[in-house]
Amino acid sequence: MADRPALDVHNLKVSVGDVGILKGLDLTVPFGEVHAIMGPNGSGKSTLSHVLSGKSGYEVSGDVWLDGEPLLVMDVDQRARAGLMQAFQYPVQVPGVGLGSFVLEAGAAQGIAASDMNEKVSAAADAVGAGPFLERAINDGLSGGEKKRSEIFQIVALQPKVAILDEIDSGLDIDAVRDVADAVQALRGPGVGIVLITHYSRILEHVTPDRVHVMMDGTVVDTGGPELADELEEGGYQSIRNRLGLTSRAPDPGTTDEGSTPFDF
Amino acid sequence: MAGAPESIVDRLSDGGPDWLATQRKEALASWASQSMPTSKEEEWRYVDLDFDIDDYRPVDGAGDPLDIDEFSGAILATSGRATVVDGWPGDVEPGRVNLGTIERFLDLPSVTDRYGTAVDPAQSIFAAAQRALAPGGLVIHVPSGVAIDDPVVVDLQAVTPGSVSFPHVSIVMEENTEVSVVVISRSAPGIDVLHIPTIEAFVGDAGRLSLTTIQNHDRRAKSVANHKIVLGRDSTLKIGEVGLGAGYGRQRLAVDLNGAGASVQMNGVYFGDSDQVLDYRVFVTHRGPKTASNIFLKGAVQDQAQAVWTGLVRIESEAVGTSAFETNRNLVLSEGARVNSVPNLEILTDDLQCGHGSSSGPLEEEHLYYLMSRGLQKDRAERLLVRGFFEEMITKLPVKSLAGPSREAVNRKYGEAQREGRV
Ligand SMILES: Nc1ncnc2c1ncn2[C@@H]1O[C@H](COP(=O)(O)OP(=O)(O)O)[C@@H](O)[C@H]1O
Ligand SMILES: [Mg+2]
Repeated sequence: MADRPALDVHNLKVSVGDVGILKGLDLTVPFGEVHAIMGPNGSGKSTLSHVLSGKSGYEVSGDVWLDGEPLLVMDVDQRARAGLMQAFQYPVQVPGVGLGSFVLEAGAAQGIAASDMNEKVSAAADAVGAGPFLERAINDGLSGGEKKRSEIFQIVALQPKVAILDEIDSGLDIDAVRDVADAVQALRGPGVGIVLITHYSRILEHVTPDRVHVMMDGTVVDTGGPELADELEEGGYQSIRNRLGLTSRAPDPGTTDEGSTPFDF
Repeated sequence: MAGAPESIVDRLSDGGPDWLATQRKEALASWASQSMPTSKEEEWRYVDLDFDIDDYRPVDGAGDPLDIDEFSGAILATSGRATVVDGWPGDVEPGRVNLGTIERFLDLPSVTDRYGTAVDPAQSIFAAAQRALAPGGLVIHVPSGVAIDDPVVVDLQAVTPGSVSFPHVSIVMEENTEVSVVVISRSAPGIDVLHIPTIEAFVGDAGRLSLTTIQNHDRRAKSVANHKIVLGRDSTLKIGEVGLGAGYGRQRLAVDLNGAGASVQMNGVYFGDSDQVLDYRVFVTHRGPKTASNIFLKGAVQDQAQAVWTGLVRIESEAVGTSAFETNRNLVLSEGARVNSVPNLEILTDDLQCGHGSSSGPLEEEHLYYLMSRGLQKDRAERLLVRGFFEEMITKLPVKSLAGPSREAVNRKYGEAQREGRV
């Protein structure tokens, strides 16, 4: 079945304390597709990623299915073994834990035979230029761009069913964007649904998404084909707000961001 | 043996050199004027000793030696081995260094002038008792210009139940020498003993000493170690410490950077569990100009264990152009475990680079989340993090062959606690 959902999110609401961050988000990503999520800073993209990964510290309601299985009841590690992994926007440095051996262990945790995993690790490392980091501790002393390579390397090596790539392209130079985009293209396939979070359309020049979702203030406000990314490229988020008749989020007191008045449409 | 300390001192000194007899008598007098320390004294803050030296008996000879342990077993090539049982030097396998008891060195002024002089008996009742009652100690002498790669391994063992023992190791390095010494302290399983060892080292100009100390006593043992190292011009000292402890395991280490350009680098790990108390007191004194110190220890505690780390780095006014860094990081793995970590710098010059840092806390949630988000089970992720925490220090231990058993020892403590649901 071609459009069996890899990831299915219904009415997801997330808050921290009194602050609502996601406000009833819906998202369906079928196997075999790449869905771009674009949205301004602070719209909740990383929160969505963390909540899907199972990070603690959020109050969560709604329903999420991973390949038909209820996701929200699982622990962080169960979600990963069930097939959902993310490349983090801001991955932490983990002292003393070598990247290569860690990914081998992660493969073993999924039941992948060591010899197969060895092959996947070297192929993925070659593909994204992560070879030099394998012997180092995770993200230890890596530049911003190198961290992105390290993250996409892990996803490519571990081949999840749902890959959430949170701003895998930010802070990269042109060559690196191409490398990372090539990796995403290689990852693409019938067994995986990819959520490609970005706030530039740059990477989308190399990876044509099946669907583009625009996220603002905790919900998906618009969904379309690749042409939606072109509209964003030309008119920015303001163009989308204007078309949909949306006001932007209430400004923080004291900020004078031009897009923040209630009369901007 | 037994008997009053006076009669023991007389017996130990019988037939030996006068200077050593005098040392012992003076120490005995100092002992008589001191009492057991309390936590009111700065150097003994944070700990309450629940024992007394008088609770233990000195013994007049060595008990049966223990089997070789995993640490000395890991060092295949050595430049000499010596075993000291209950404070009494036993088997000595000399190698390329001059290794033997003090009696062998009585004609060598550079040894006899220094032997027993590093630690001041007035410093504590333990220091005084050690100097008074130590049998003729072990001497490692490196003649001028001699450099030796493979370590000298000294195995200090406490094996007689109820005994107090006073091992003494004196390292004398002439000019432009190099040696690596590994001192293992341990005791027979399940016995209550008091171990009061001293290592003193005198590093001549341009000398290079690597000293690794391993404390691997049984949980019923108490150990109060008092070490001091004095460094000459342009000399270097590397210290590795592996502290698996005793019930109470104290290590007071003083390093005097006396000569211009002298430096010390210390790296170590310790891990306390059950109701262990691991008590580190590190004193570094910069006297010479352009001296450098870098002290970095990492430790973990679980169950009801306590770790104390106080580092006092003093930079005298004449120590211009100095650099001094001290760092102590601790993992607190159970609610009932605690850490007192207090780095201190006392600076009497303004021409220096320095810094200190200290931290104590549980495993980082963010790190756990990261590892688990790739599918590792929580307990496995925790083990990797504990291992990773120590790894930075393990790889800096000066004797590479000790990395394996050291890593295993700390990881085993955590692994066992995890399996038994204690962490
Ligand atoms: N743990 C948190 N506590 C409070 N507010 C948070 C927390 N995490 C995110 N937020 C807020 O939620 C909003 C969305 O953040 P984020 O998901 O990082 O956005 P994006 O990734 O789209 O830039 C921001 O206003 C941010 O400040
Ligand atoms: Mg983000």
